Amino acid sequence: MDLLNPYNLQVITFIVLNGILAISIYITLMTGQLSLGHAGFMSIGAYTASILTKQADLPLFAALLLGALAAGLIALLIGAPTLKLHGLYLAIATLGFGEVVRVIMLNMEITNGALGLTGLKSIGNTLYEWQKAIGVSAQSVGVSVMQMKALLTLFFLVLLFAVILFLTLRLNRSRIGRAFEAIKADETAAKAMGLQISYYKMLAFIIGSVLAGFCGGLFAHITTTVTPDDFNYHKVVEILSFAVIGGSEIVWGPLFGALLLTSLPELLRSLAEYKMIMYGAIMVLVMAFRPHGLIAADTFQKLFRRRSKQASAAKKEEF
Amino acid sequence: MLRVENLSTSYGQIKAIRDVSLHVPEGKIVSLIGANGAGKTTTMKTIAGLLTPKSGTVTFCGQRIEGWKPHRLVEAGMALVPEGRAILGKMTVLENLEMGAFQRKDAQGIKDDMEKMMTWFPILKERLNQLGGTMSGGQQQMLSIARALMSRPKLLLLDEPSMGLAPIVVSDIFKVIRQINQEGTTVLIVEQNVKQALKIADYGYVLEVGQIVHEGTGEALLNDERVKEAYLGGRKHA
Ligand SMILES: Nc1ncnc2c1ncn2[C@@H]1O[C@H](COP(=O)(O)OP(=O)(O)OP(=O)(O)O)[C@@H](O)[C@H]1O
Ligand SMILES: [Mg+2]
Repeated sequence: MDLLNPYNLQVITFIVLNGILAISIYITLMTGQLSLGHAGFMSIGAYTASILTKQADLPLFAALLLGALAAGLIALLIGAPTLKLHGLYLAIATLGFGEVVRVIMLNMEITNGALGLTGLKSIGNTLYEWQKAIGVSAQSVGVSVMQMKALLTLFFLVLLFAVILFLTLRLNRSRIGRAFEAIKADETAAKAMGLQISYYKMLAFIIGSVLAGFCGGLFAHITTTVTPDDFNYHKVVEILSFAVIGGSEIVWGPLFGALLLTSLPELLRSLAEYKMIMYGAIMVLVMAFRPHGLIAADTFQKLFRRRSKQASAAKKEEF
Repeated sequence: MLRVENLSTSYGQIKAIRDVSLHVPEGKIVSLIGANGAGKTTTMKTIAGLLTPKSGTVTFCGQRIEGWKPHRLVEAGMALVPEGRAILGKMTVLENLEMGAFQRKDAQGIKDDMEKMMTWFPILKERLNQLGGTMSGGQQQMLSIARALMSRPKLLLLDEPSMGLAPIVVSDIFKVIRQINQEGTTVLIVEQNVKQALKIADYGYVLEVGQIVHEGTGEALLNDERVKEAYLGGRKHA
């Protein structure tokens, strides 16, 4: 039962949470936009949800959704001026945005400054209450209450992750996904084909930000605390490295990156202290040897080719 | 169909075109010729809404359209085949064609046009599932033209369709352009391949350093001494 100890369960939970974050950065990258605002949007989602559960005593899951929505709203506001920027300029502007958010959270009364908010509702507790309400206790499952709560949190996260991943894969194959792909490949061509570039860029930016905001709320209510420094520059680098190291051409890239970068420090405990150095070193190595990331579009090509042949046979029949 | 008047476009301080005026009557082929850097692409991009003009007017089907976003122009019936073809290399030929019809909602019409492209461009039919990026230059150009036609344009803008292609492929492309025109699409074509472009043109304009310097029917320009001297270079192209 060692594997099921609450600590290990929490590590796995964070891997799954980072998986959702990886999808969030993947979606903004789908249109070729390098936004570094994800930590800022996480922060907005985390604080909004936390204040709503703590001060306004809102139900946890409503607060999580409202946190995500708040991040989306801010994305809409800052997207209008910033999405006109390209490449590095967009990266710098969004990085600056994240820093502004951090300073605001640091200085507001309602966010309790540098100390942040503590004693937040925990997802594990809430779910366990529900479980007890339907008459299932931890004892009857054969685990401790702590374990049960950690397990419930993990199941909940896995469920969310599965739904979000499913929707992302659907998005990939949808009309919108095609538009994203075309814009990333060649903006001039996309314009010439009559795509509304600014609309699709904004859409990708907002979806990414909503997901980041959602992750922020989840994070706060798993750890039950939130401080401005949870979403600092290091967090930005961490999220970005999912995509840089894992690859950003297909969704499996950043997901693999998240899995690798979240589990490595746990597997090699001695490395944990040097997390940032490790990220840096891995990044340099990946850049040098696999510039498109560990998992590129052609990594699954063999598999994909077989599938696309079947798909094309099906398509031919349609015509 | 298209009337451009005193159009000027700049890149920052650099004036790329100045007071360009031209007219593309419905059903015709009009060619705009000029050397490297004359401002041909700039003119096309301004007409297609990819660049915003500093001054001047563009009238398309009776509507003033300067400053419109490209997607509105595509909807209004204008399609640009960009310089360098701009094929989506990681999408298949079929997907590229479908992207050309992105704004259209009429499923049946799209299907009909797809059939039409298959007969006009047999090479595409054979390669529907090949990735755009792995096609040859000539095939990519055909694909780029077919993709533009998938939006069912009234006016087709072609920016240097002969660029980087072998002479035999170039003449194929021009044959296709003539056929497209005969099927009812008005064409404005920008070219450095002066001879070919003027041969199929009903009317032509010569652009030099951002300004129109000569104009006339395709035939008249082909026989114009100044045009011959500057662009046909006597024996070289003969
Ligand atoms: N993005 C840009 N920024 C600054 N100057 C530009 C830009 N694009 C074009 N120019 C300049 O504008 C002028 C016209 O360029 P344009 O691309 O329209 O020429 P062109 O006739 O299409 O040439 P080519 O036959 O080589 O395609 C050139 O002097 C070019 O250097
Ligand atoms: Mg050009």
